[in-house]
Amino acid sequence: MGHTHQSGSSTAWSLLLFATLVLFAATLYAIFVFAPVEQQMGIVQKIFYFHVPSAYAMYIGFGVSAVGSAGYLLKRDARWDAVGVAGAEVGTLFCLIVLLTGPLWARKAWGVWWTWDPRLTTTLLAGMIFAAYLALRSMGNAGEVEKRFAAGLALFGLVDLPLIHYSVQRWRGVHPTVITGKGGGLESEMYWALGLSFIAFTGLAVLLIWARASIERQREETAQLRFELMHR
Amino acid sequence: MRALIAAMVLGCAMFFTPMAGAETPSDEPDAGAEGSGGETAAEDAAEERAAQFVGVRGPEAESVPGGALLLGAYAIVWLLLFLFLMRMRGLQRQTAEELERLSLEIRASEDR
Repeated sequence: MGHTHQSGSSTAWSLLLFATLVLFAATLYAIFVFAPVEQQMGIVQKIFYFHVPSAYAMYIGFGVSAVGSAGYLLKRDARWDAVGVAGAEVGTLFCLIVLLTGPLWARKAWGVWWTWDPRLTTTLLAGMIFAAYLALRSMGNAGEVEKRFAAGLALFGLVDLPLIHYSVQRWRGVHPTVITGKGGGLESEMYWALGLSFIAFTGLAVLLIWARASIERQREETAQLRFELMHR
Repeated sequence: MRALIAAMVLGCAMFFTPMAGAETPSDEPDAGAEGSGGETAAEDAAEERAAQFVGVRGPEAESVPGGALLLGAYAIVWLLLFLFLMRMRGLQRQTAEELERLSLEIRASEDR
């Protein structure tokens, strides 16, 4: 039964991987061939098609980390902890992508690499909270106390996510609002490219979280086995 | 005393001569524009660059290479994803080696 479940899981992972790769190829075509060059900013606007979906994948990662952490705090099950770690790592990866690609666009659009805009600041804050989570977890073999403290930190980080999302609507800033209710919108080809990119990045985030959680479970089981062998 | 006066005269000469030299080219562009063509214009531009610094007025006044920034952004995305995959591979290899070591230890303890 366990073997059948593992085989089914492996097939689902492979199918998702294939679908994500096809979607990324289609996304790149849509971005560079199908979608027009923006009138004001020129070609640098195409950073937007990876930057925004990366921010969305960051939400998925940090959200999954918070859910895994809450599950761990409630059930004390290592599987929930593995989900928490995987979500935090993948979320931090995409947060780093957002924080590095954004300034490259901003240099052209705003004339500066960085400005203390509410959305930029809250995104940086989320990145720092989850970087602290990962630093805490990377200090040798994390014990029960470290795991619980890190789980609390992930839940604290979750509070920052709505702040990032609504900061452009609630507070005055310079961040573009083209895909929010207040914005002027995009051309239809641009919407297609962005939509495809959103789906591709969702697939990528799920794949990475899935793979990372699986590795974390194996690490946890190995550590458990080592512990049992030492105390035989 | 004579040495002091001589030093003061020399100092004044060194201070005022470059200033006088820097002021004279400001009269030249008009004369040059009337005289020769493109070569004089290039010289004028060079003189203008050397004589003043003009501040950028707003971000659009500066030309930033969009293509290079776009390339940099996409390179960062792929590079970070690649590094993350390499890290996962390293963790998996480390776990596999640890499992192998533990299974050898178990076999050795059973033989004893």
